[in-house]
Amino acid sequence: MSLTIGLLLALSFVVSLLALAFLIWAINNNQLRIEQRHAYTIFTEGEAGQVDDPTAEREDDHHFDIERAGIDRVSRLPVLILVASGIGWLVLGSLFGLVASLKLHWPDWLDAQAALTFGRVRTLHLNMVIYGWASMTGIAVALWVTPRIFHTPLRLPRLPLIGAALWNMALLAGAIAIANGWTDGEEWLEIPWQVDIGLATAGVFFVVPIIVTAARREVHHIYVTGWYYLAGLCWFPVLFVIANIPYIHSGVQEATVNWWFAHNVLGLWLTPLGVGTAYYFIPKIIGKPIYSYSLSLLGFWGLALFYSQVGIHHLIGGPVPTWVVTLSIVHSMMMFIPVLAVAVNQHVLVARNLWALRESIPLRFVALGALLYTLASFQGSIEALRTVNSVTHFTHYTVGHAHLGAYGFLTLVLFGAVYYLVPRSTGRQWPWPAAMAAHFWLVVVGFLVYFAALTIGGVLQGLAMLDATRPFAESVRVTMPYLQARSVGGSLMALGHLLFAVHFVVAVLQRPAPHPGATVLSKPAVAA
Amino acid sequence: MKTQLSGPPSPSETFEPYETMRPIPLGVLMIAVALALWGVVLLFDNSEAVAIGQAERADVLADQPARSDADGASLFSARCATCHQPNGSGVSGAVPPLAGSPFLAGRAEVPIAILLRGIDGPIRVRDTVYDGHMPSFASVLSDEEIARLVSYLRERFADRPAPVAAEMVTALRGELAGGSGWKGGQELAARLAPELAPQPSFALASRAEADPATMRLVNEGTNGSWACASCHGALGQGSETVPRLAGLPAGYIARQLESYLNGSRRNESMAVVARSLTRQERVALGDYYALLRAPSNARPSLGGDIARGERLVLEGVWDRGIPPCVSCHGPSAFGVAPGFPGLAAQHPAYTASQLAAWVSGERDNAQQKLMNGIARSLDDADRRAVADYLATLPPVPVAATKERADDRR
Repeated sequence: MSLTIGLLLALSFVVSLLALAFLIWAINNNQLRIEQRHAYTIFTEGEAGQVDDPTAEREDDHHFDIERAGIDRVSRLPVLILVASGIGWLVLGSLFGLVASLKLHWPDWLDAQAALTFGRVRTLHLNMVIYGWASMTGIAVALWVTPRIFHTPLRLPRLPLIGAALWNMALLAGAIAIANGWTDGEEWLEIPWQVDIGLATAGVFFVVPIIVTAARREVHHIYVTGWYYLAGLCWFPVLFVIANIPYIHSGVQEATVNWWFAHNVLGLWLTPLGVGTAYYFIPKIIGKPIYSYSLSLLGFWGLALFYSQVGIHHLIGGPVPTWVVTLSIVHSMMMFIPVLAVAVNQHVLVARNLWALRESIPLRFVALGALLYTLASFQGSIEALRTVNSVTHFTHYTVGHAHLGAYGFLTLVLFGAVYYLVPRSTGRQWPWPAAMAAHFWLVVVGFLVYFAALTIGGVLQGLAMLDATRPFAESVRVTMPYLQARSVGGSLMALGHLLFAVHFVVAVLQRPAPHPGATVLSKPAVAA
Repeated sequence: MKTQLSGPPSPSETFEPYETMRPIPLGVLMIAVALALWGVVLLFDNSEAVAIGQAERADVLADQPARSDADGASLFSARCATCHQPNGSGVSGAVPPLAGSPFLAGRAEVPIAILLRGIDGPIRVRDTVYDGHMPSFASVLSDEEIARLVSYLRERFADRPAPVAAEMVTALRGELAGGSGWKGGQELAARLAPELAPQPSFALASRAEADPATMRLVNEGTNGSWACASCHGALGQGSETVPRLAGLPAGYIARQLESYLNGSRRNESMAVVARSLTRQERVALGDYYALLRAPSNARPSLGGDIARGERLVLEGVWDRGIPPCVSCHGPSAFGVAPGFPGLAAQHPAYTASQLAAWVSGERDNAQQKLMNGIARSLDDADRRAVADYLATLPPVPVAATKERADDRR
């Protein structure tokens, strides 16, 4: 009886709603404020040597000399190796993405080898940028930030080195498998499950050090970035392993599990990495607090409660029980709540400190990324509505949206984070500040062209496909100028990535600073 | 030292991010409440939609046409009276009468068997031989409907008031499943009603088999092109957007193949096929498919409004410049050779796609561009309604086309 299944599913929505209502009630009744007071206490104890300034305001409690504690020194090697790997995969992945884009309007180009046909090149692009660039760099940033907010050096710092080697090898094996036509045949899960065992094992070497570090933290209160990182690092291994277990799902179930996983990679893995990173760097660079602790709670728990059901909106119109799809649409719309909470928290701070955008290129990347997170999420929620979906489904519009989330949001945030952390990790400044600005404008302008072209072209394509009196070929022909524009935008983005990669190599290989302990970035007043 | 990180207020490197203790803004709370309410309403609304959808699907699964509760009289006027006339008198020399027919007066199985399989050869009714052709209604009428129709016919035209049970139809349908039309009265009489003998033999209507070269084209393909049957099926029955060819006029089929050649009808696959065929082969294929018989495998599948489709097909909408389909495509939409194809039992996805193709110009090969204007007057719902209704009709009785095709020569 589908009524029973329907009831169960509706119940899961009601339970989520009740949990959300309880959370809001608890916040409004100060049930959760106690923890914050604890935090202040611990801060004061931890910073006992610094609070003797009589004019110090309450905000001065929130200071901690990370350099003196030697925290960055411990995480330096694993972080830099992971960032280097991530950037390597980014360059490779961008090239494959560009080739795939060009093939859409030069269909006969590079068609002699099976490995260079569109289906494989596009798949290689996806897997390299998601599991290579986004995941490895995201983990690197998490490994760097987590010890800082916990006031304690990274524990087990050698494990991530093993993890990075294993992850790179597995991803390379997966890429070779895909190029040779051996895949699991599901989007986002193309890497053969035999190879995925390697990725899952490598993941353990990243998760354990961070969890151990969290357990040994020197602060009582966990800053919001920590919630997102810890949650993402717990959610993703579960998702990845369950979705990759072979021979248990088939047919429609397989498609359902496929999209449950694929969308959760974005929402429960890449989003926590990106949002957590933005939550750290925006206030850190501006030097002022986040708008509201209550909103942080609402944003985090809203994501946790509603995101996991979102993915099935990819199967609107498919042979999946209507209940599942409708529930997914409702949950997609409910994502407005956490996104709004994060948006208010982060954008208010940036909007009140616009001066900082001129001063700091890392902040420019992170703040723009955070803004695009809001836009991508709102767009995604609206795309899940049946009326909108019937136009945009199976069109380039969806591709534009996917890049707004994975590129506009996450990749820009990670660029900013890398620009911020490399000088502090190596103790050396970026050698060419102008290259950073060039990188910013290349990828921003490139992405703007990319996104606008696919969005307009996608809608036109969708409308052409819906009109039975227009032949199908016309829905393909109409996208032509937009696909060419996408290649132009994509080229600019790829160019920016190359510049970024060269700059990174030069920055890491340049002559060491005289004493890495006191980096060139520190304010003289603080370092003294 | 100036770095890219320092601004006028000079944030300290030791600053630790934290959150201030502001309450959740009222606007965010209100949006959260509104979304929650919307979600509950949508889920509730969906539960009703699902219930309706399930009921509709149950109807489809039971394969009940839209008017399954129609009584025998309305079934008669909808399905039989066009040819057999409203008073059952038939048409002299063409359609046998129902009134006083021994086929109705005898065992009830006889009219049921005729409805289930149709007739493809000559029969003798009260000393007159009719060499006409009757379609099979097996795909069109349910067992209950056939029982109601036969009861009505026997009571009205043969004075046999005892009603026929649907179980009898069910049993007979199982027994006769898969057979093609009765090969004249002889086969019918031999199988079910010896008392109707003597009946003329099917040999009177025997026809030449297609030549081996044509059969190779159909079943194996040739000249670098694939076989017709690989898409259109072994019986030319088609599926989805691949049309049913069985029983279409020979001249019509040959002309479509020419259209693919000259570009007035566009289809990548068919253009390849058409280029591989000589003129003689095109004509031979038309002749072959015109004589092929295949039970209907078309079912309404586009969610069209069947009643609206019936109105458009039988009456048209003159205000909008839409003539009834049957005014050109013949009674029961069986087609009029050589120009007007049969539409009955055609696959709805194909019919609707063609109606759309007339609008887009993908297809522009109608005589006097008749279809172009009509198709432009139909909207998407009309196309689906017409296509779904046509799929509920019985397939063209094959040899009806043949006779007209023969006349043409």
